[in-house]
Amino acid sequence: MSNFLNLLAAGVTAGAIYGVFAACIAIWFRVSNVLNLAIGDFAMLGVLGVAELSQVDHWNLAVSILVDLVGVGLLAWLFDWLVLHFALDRGQADHGIVTVFFYTFALSLGIEGVTLAVLGTDVRSAPAFWNGPALEVADFHVQRAGLLVIGLAIVVGILLWTYLRTTVSGRAASACGESVIGSRIVGIDAARYRRWLFVATAVLAALFGIVESPMNGFTYSSGPTISLLGVVAAGFAAFRRPGRAVVIGLALGIAEALIGGYVSTSYNDVILYAALFALIVFQPRVLGLSTVPT
Amino acid sequence: MPLLTGGLVAVVGAVVLAAAGGSYLGSTIAIGLGYAVTTVGMVVQLGYSKQLAFSQSVFMGVGAYGTGILETRYGLTSGEAVLATIGLGLVGSLVIGGIVTRAPGLALALATLLLPLFLYPLATFSSYLGSFTGIEGIAPLWNDASYATMLVRSGIVIAIVLGLATAAALRVMRSGVGLQLMAMSEDERLAAGLGASLRQRRLEVFVFGSVLATVGGALVASSQGLVTPDILAEPAEITLLIMVFVAGRKSVVAAIGGAVVIEYLTTSSAFISTNLTTFEAIALVLVLLLEPDGVAGLVGRGGRALRGRLANRGAAGAVAASDAAGSPDAAVAP
Repeated sequence: MSNFLNLLAAGVTAGAIYGVFAACIAIWFRVSNVLNLAIGDFAMLGVLGVAELSQVDHWNLAVSILVDLVGVGLLAWLFDWLVLHFALDRGQADHGIVTVFFYTFALSLGIEGVTLAVLGTDVRSAPAFWNGPALEVADFHVQRAGLLVIGLAIVVGILLWTYLRTTVSGRAASACGESVIGSRIVGIDAARYRRWLFVATAVLAALFGIVESPMNGFTYSSGPTISLLGVVAAGFAAFRRPGRAVVIGLALGIAEALIGGYVSTSYNDVILYAALFALIVFQPRVLGLSTVPT
Repeated sequence: MPLLTGGLVAVVGAVVLAAAGGSYLGSTIAIGLGYAVTTVGMVVQLGYSKQLAFSQSVFMGVGAYGTGILETRYGLTSGEAVLATIGLGLVGSLVIGGIVTRAPGLALALATLLLPLFLYPLATFSSYLGSFTGIEGIAPLWNDASYATMLVRSGIVIAIVLGLATAAALRVMRSGVGLQLMAMSEDERLAAGLGASLRQRRLEVFVFGSVLATVGGALVASSQGLVTPDILAEPAEITLLIMVFVAGRKSVVAAIGGAVVIEYLTTSSAFISTNLTTFEAIALVLVLLLEPDGVAGLVGRGGRALRGRLANRGAAGAVAASDAAGSPDAAVAP
């Protein structure tokens, strides 16, 4: 029983991380109809930035985090202003599959390339907020960083749900993704919502990266895998339902941990993602994707 | 015309490789031409038909691992192994394509994005596939006592295969099937209304792109002499996408150039290889914003502008001459 609970705790921690990244992707897709393939790179940038400022340059941790998050937010804002604005608002570029994938894919490549050149290939993590050995609850153990991740995920989840469901601004943001022209007719500035949600999800991803990094080190190339896992979880939520994306992310994390514990530690990812692949190709309806951007 | 272009590609490739004379540059170009076989298929699949499939690196892995296993474990010659691998790729893509192309749009993209997530760890943990180090000792396509001759002749074989792939891709794009694919890429309902069998065409495009990727993987593995799990990882697919999108996703010739140039840049100097990702990102953003058809589109636009200017100048000259001939002063003009 204790083994099961330990695996469950590990799975919930990993799942909370997947779920938050998936929710970030789903929220922004809902507004912009674009997949944020750079979300993992924002997390990586958060971790490596804080590690550099606090451990190499010996800045105060709180100041390091603040400067790092502002930097990540600024980068997201600049990318939207310099690239997405021209591509999506002024119609100066191609649309369809190119828009859905390739602008943020280019951003991901750029962040990765610059980080490699500036910070190198070392594995790093931000300093732990809550030092000490794993906490013992009854017969199972929970890492302190894991608890922080779960707690932060719950808080952020509630805040996002409240924003999207109960505020006029949240509903307006959702309307942008349903119909850009329709939302403009009723006076919603779709570009503004897209920009600020892009910035907010980038900062959120960076914050989650910083909190969870004591458990998993980051390198310059950690971003794409995180983004891909987020896209997979968001995909099972039709890319538009942040709440469902969190649940799917949690389920993925728990399934991964349980398969790793009871079936095979080496082949847990193989079994899990092969099963998801089979599910998509044999039952594509589970994704709930009714329309295809062309 | 497709045969002529394919022949030209093969001849140019062979001449360049012969001129490189078995040097390191020649080896890099040969590997680049191997990648180009895959990117030619991607032009038809992603660029022309807009099929949202990101499985090309996986099929390159099928080709590379297939060749490696058949040669090193079952004693086949490199030619036999490559041919058997093409058959494997064909059957594999028919089976996988028959299933995955049922998934619509983003579902197909998601399904194919999942492939590296379980095939890469599978290759790294499987001792049959050589674990982390992969499979070494894959023979070149043309064996010879002299290393330089072997490299040149193997490269020429790759150039010929690339020429055939180019001809096949252009033939598909300029046929009635190509027109149906173009219609499908714009509006699937319209294409269905015009009588196109959507499911069949989707499967055909998937198989075409996947088989060429399998061939490309087999050629690259033969050129490098080894295959590692890296060929199945996400960065491999990212490199392929850059090769196609920056060079020009609708131009077969541009995709060949993109594959060779990026393969060359990857190994050209420490500065370029370290910063290549950044340069690729900048190039990709500029291409997406300014010229969605990539460098090929830019060259085409420049060529059209130049032709237009020359035509205008010629017309202006003719008008001036005609005016001069018709005017009263023309008779007394010196």
